[in-house]
Amino acid sequence: MTAVLFPGIIVRAKSIFAGRKGPGLFQPLKDVMLLFQKGNVISTTTSYIFKIAPAIGLASVLSATLVLPFGPFPALISFNGDIVFFAYMLGIGKFFLIIAALDTGSAFEGMGANREALYSLLAEPAFFILAGTLAMLTGYSSFNEILIGLYNPDNSYILIYSIISVIVLAQIMQVENSRMPVDDPKTHLELTMIHEVMILDYSGFDKALIHITSWLKFALYSTLIFDVLIPVQWDKGIQFGLFAIIAVSLAVYIGFIESFKVRNKIGRNPVFLFTISVLALLAFVVVLVLTEKMILS
Amino acid sequence: MMEFLIVAFAATLIYLSAAHRFRVFARFMGAQGVLIFGIALLELNEMATANLVLVVAETLLFKGIIVPFMLFYIIRRTQVFKVHAQATPSFYILILNAAALIVSVVIAYTLQNPYINTVFMTVALYALLSGLIIIVTHKLIISHLIGFLIIENAVFLFTIALGNEMPALINIAMLLDIFVGVLIMGFFGMRLKPDTGDLTQLKD
Repeated sequence: MTAVLFPGIIVRAKSIFAGRKGPGLFQPLKDVMLLFQKGNVISTTTSYIFKIAPAIGLASVLSATLVLPFGPFPALISFNGDIVFFAYMLGIGKFFLIIAALDTGSAFEGMGANREALYSLLAEPAFFILAGTLAMLTGYSSFNEILIGLYNPDNSYILIYSIISVIVLAQIMQVENSRMPVDDPKTHLELTMIHEVMILDYSGFDKALIHITSWLKFALYSTLIFDVLIPVQWDKGIQFGLFAIIAVSLAVYIGFIESFKVRNKIGRNPVFLFTISVLALLAFVVVLVLTEKMILS
Repeated sequence: MMEFLIVAFAATLIYLSAAHRFRVFARFMGAQGVLIFGIALLELNEMATANLVLVVAETLLFKGIIVPFMLFYIIRRTQVFKVHAQATPSFYILILNAAALIVSVVIAYTLQNPYINTVFMTVALYALLSGLIIIVTHKLIISHLIGFLIIENAVFLFTIALGNEMPALINIAMLLDIFVGVLIMGFFGMRLKPDTGDLTQLKD
């Protein structure tokens, strides 16, 4: 439900900020339904990689969803190191989309793939530093156990870590979903596109799958932010309400950024992304110092 | 609360390293002034009224309000808005900044003893290194002044790290340093710029 409503809320927020009436909340869903009814047009220069990439992208995000708990409700699958599995499932989806873009042989798509790969590469350390910090803080490497151990009453400094994590994860969400200020999904010039130029050759059913994958990623990151911010011990009824508030706030935040900020220059993007990683490193250092886990002999 | 302020202070150092607009520099310097005021107020538990007035004047009034105001004034007068002359690209500055953070935490732990607050020591060292990095990686004099102001803030944190007392003499010396720094900057910016027109580099 969050995945379906998220893009609609972004579009609605943008139209309200711009003083327009704008489309309804379900307009992106109607567009995708329309795409599902259309046939695919596939370039003769492409191979089977181009055909399977959207399905693998969707499957990878769905697989990542399986290991992510929702507040007090444990994940469907849980094992030690599932936090790494989560990151790499998202990585596999992106990898296939990148090689599918290269498969078309288009210079523009190659350029987009190159940029997307670079930005994912730069955003990845931030996620892994955060994940490592979580593991160090709680002593576990599985989402389910981490979230239970995270809000231990002894961890009075956890709120500092949570706030930094929310800032970092919200920015990773923007990067992973190719939104402003890193990428502009509404740009019409191929030279300035990043994600959109990679999927230029897709149409119909495959394009609908790519859109749904992107929506699911929004829902996934919203859940992750919710998990880090809200203690699992809280009442289940309240948790649903808080999740709705967090998801809507994130969508409005993205709408706000896209209404009032310009996109970064392409050359500034690596700096923006590395800033996220350094912020995550700060969270790591904060936990390291406050928990006195550093040993220098 | 104390940890919040000190972590927020450290976060401003990251954004200062990545910034390339002087308005951002000025805003973050103001934010640092307010944060340092909060830290001083919470940390210094035994303070004479005169010393308290001095700390408020130095942090909230001077670092939080007057210095950013003067920086904005200088930016408006000189019409220099962006760091267009960096000796090193921002990306490498950020890498150096990340390295500085790691070095700071290692040094703070190496120096660990009952008289030193490790958290303050880490952030103070980090601020000191960040200020130095900004000075050596930027070419324009305004950036150098920003680096100098960050180092001043680092010295302030060092004094807090070493105990709950802050000698008035150190406060006055630091106030004088900041005053002279901003004054000289204002002099350079406002007296020299109108005469040089749009010349920005020596080779012009």
